[in-house]
Amino acid sequence: MLEQSQLHVIEARCTQEAAPRCRTACPLDMDVRAFLESLAAGKIRDARKILERHLPLPGVMSAVCDHPCENACLRRDLGGGLAVSSLEKFCMHAVPSQTRPIIRPPKPQKLAVLGAGLAGLVAAFDISRKGFAVTVFHEGDAGEKLRSDFPSLGEAALAEELRSLEKFHVSFCPASLDEALLARCLEEYAAVFVDASACDLAPSRDGLDASTLLWKDKICCGGWTSLTPTGARYASASSQAGDGRRAGITLQRIMTGVSLVAAREGENRENRLHTPLDGITPLPRIVPEGDSYTEEEARREADRCIRCSCMQCVKECPFLQKYKEFPRVYARKLYNNASVVRGTRTANVIMNGCALCGQCEVICPEHFSMADLCLESRRDAVERDVMPASAHEFALEDMAQASGPECAFLLEDPAVSPSGGHAPAMFFPGCQLAASRPGQVLAMYRYLRENLPGGASLYSSCCGIPAYWAGRETLFNEHAETLRRDWESCGKPEILAACSSCMTALKKALPEATVTALWTRLDKLMSDSFESTAPKDMSVQDPCGARFDEEWRRAVRSLAVKAGIHVEEPLRSGPESACCGYGGLVWNAQPDVADAMAKKRAGEFSLPVLTSCIMCHDRFASETESWHLFDILPQTAQEGHLEASAPGLSARRAGRAALKEAALEEFLGEKPSVRHDDEPVLLRISEEVRQSMERRYILRQDAVEAVAGIEKTRARFLNRENGHFLGSWRPRNVTFWVEYTADADGGFTLVKAWCHRMVVAGAIQPSEKVILEDKVHA
Amino acid sequence: MALDPNFTTDGGDWICAKCHVPLEQIKVQALYMHSAFDVILPRCPSCGLTLIPQSLAEGKMAEVEALLEDK
Repeated sequence: MLEQSQLHVIEARCTQEAAPRCRTACPLDMDVRAFLESLAAGKIRDARKILERHLPLPGVMSAVCDHPCENACLRRDLGGGLAVSSLEKFCMHAVPSQTRPIIRPPKPQKLAVLGAGLAGLVAAFDISRKGFAVTVFHEGDAGEKLRSDFPSLGEAALAEELRSLEKFHVSFCPASLDEALLARCLEEYAAVFVDASACDLAPSRDGLDASTLLWKDKICCGGWTSLTPTGARYASASSQAGDGRRAGITLQRIMTGVSLVAAREGENRENRLHTPLDGITPLPRIVPEGDSYTEEEARREADRCIRCSCMQCVKECPFLQKYKEFPRVYARKLYNNASVVRGTRTANVIMNGCALCGQCEVICPEHFSMADLCLESRRDAVERDVMPASAHEFALEDMAQASGPECAFLLEDPAVSPSGGHAPAMFFPGCQLAASRPGQVLAMYRYLRENLPGGASLYSSCCGIPAYWAGRETLFNEHAETLRRDWESCGKPEILAACSSCMTALKKALPEATVTALWTRLDKLMSDSFESTAPKDMSVQDPCGARFDEEWRRAVRSLAVKAGIHVEEPLRSGPESACCGYGGLVWNAQPDVADAMAKKRAGEFSLPVLTSCIMCHDRFASETESWHLFDILPQTAQEGHLEASAPGLSARRAGRAALKEAALEEFLGEKPSVRHDDEPVLLRISEEVRQSMERRYILRQDAVEAVAGIEKTRARFLNRENGHFLGSWRPRNVTFWVEYTADADGGFTLVKAWCHRMVVAGAIQPSEKVILEDKVHA
Repeated sequence: MALDPNFTTDGGDWICAKCHVPLEQIKVQALYMHSAFDVILPRCPSCGLTLIPQSLAEGKMAEVEALLEDK
């Protein structure tokens, strides 16, 4: 399980919660983005609440601030930084005060402030709001320093803020700000603040610790003047107020005996938030017609805010969009999920909704990987036996079928094997290409045997990627052992893989083997151009497994060019390519997310799409015109079926079994002992019912076995209104219900099928719990 | 977490085809992942064959299954 420290490292990579530039530029940590968002929505009262929550002396600050946020604004080169200062002024005038802080009797410790400059008054404001009494010593009258430093400050706003300070136990005391006063304050007060703009006793800023502004003993300083680039001195309201606030935190800690430096990292904010600016149209700053903004003008100006935000990965991924958060939050939720001992694991859906495709890691400027996080969470859940059984069960059963006796086979090249030799290459089509295109696989094998020096073997099985994606490491390792045994028995040939997921899995399972993309080898074998019936202009899809496999991607494009196809690169191609929804078994755990992925990606192709992974092809086929490389290569194009839709789940299983029969018959002369399409009953299934079964992961075989079993035991219901029979069958962890009619010819017609996992006494015969790991290699 | 206890068929005049008797709403136990619930379902009063309607299997039952799997 993830350690908390590891979580923090992972979390830190997602900058979505980091402050936007306006806020990091503000020494007072003003939430400018939220303020503008409220104004843009016409919520002026909410906007003022935000001002009052963040700004000390809001009436003064909004009037005199030199707004460093405006220079930092990312709109600066896109029409001009937001007019934050003018909008703050508008807001302060448009609505009255929105907060009523409670005035409590003061605590025993008292603060002395020497000098009524802006820093001194901000320190007094912050400390008094924490419930401490403050005495501000000043020369002249209390407002004189502010009036001279900030001539634009209105008398009414100043008087109002001074009155407000007095209500919060701030008293003003005219005095000469000299050594004697400082000495007296050190004796009589718990802490002292010296305002450098009003009191000559303050040292220069350089000699002080910038993070605490502690001068000596229990004295803090702040409020120095700033320098313009040309060397002129001026009073920066934001800088002075920022000093007052920073020193105020130190002073409060001095008064209450808390560490002056602990947990203050948050005060030094860096610009960490990544905000992509592509696609943002420049909009000129709204200039008020009169002296200040009207409500309408203010709303329009605030609406220019681009609402800095990263979300680059979320924009691309339907899974990340589904739960309306971003990776940092997902990381936290997954961590909490793993910590649940008793209770509901609400983040199971998060870990199982990821396609593990790796796109976010490439797109993210900090390379945050949801795939690593979700895969690790799955492994952890499997290890602690809390992985929801239904999430990947169908996919793992499919893996068991593909690597079981019905479908898996290893065919050594008949030209060399009788003499005990081995071919130097092994064609590994992958279980999905075998399922979808058995005829083309066989045709490609014939070509490879004839054209590769020394021939080739053919190994049809599962590569193990479903177990890897499901987080079942034991199962993956056991499967890897089977693969190794078979590979070694063939003399450790170079493996030619036609599926990028197989490439990924085989490289993990057999790190010592040479695994090459079939396309790379074909591109070398086929030096000349060839005829193809494919469209002459196509979009190309890079499968997520080939994200980092440049050779694969280059070979695919080269073969396309030889077929006379002009390839158009869609948005996010190459390493940034998006998943079709097959990755990570999301098609099994959360079909709605997988479908959204296929739909989104297919929508990004402006032309018919050329795929090099059969699952990409099959998942796009219902969305757009889709071609697999096998459909354009002369060796295989004739064997293909150019149906618009991809084969269903039952047809895929039948396809794998058919490949085995056909290969063994053609190359070894073995006659199939039992025809795979022999079924115990004749069951008619309409296309509509078949599609409804697909959505429920009910195989034809399940329905056939159910009807056959029910007819044998006669344990069934009869609907006297229409003559339909209904019964259930539980071959494994799922109960299948079939509603059907008995036809005149002794066959049956399926009307409906549904399934559930719960066991109800009398509804089924509870079978033994099937342990997935055992089933795969049974 | 509980199943609303009483579920009838999704329409139709269903009988037990083996015993030729109409179904009755009878309390049975539903089990999943070490949890058990009482639920009233159409059942043959003679042989005990019990019907789980599609609306229950794909509605409440699926919801409870998911909840228990995440427990």
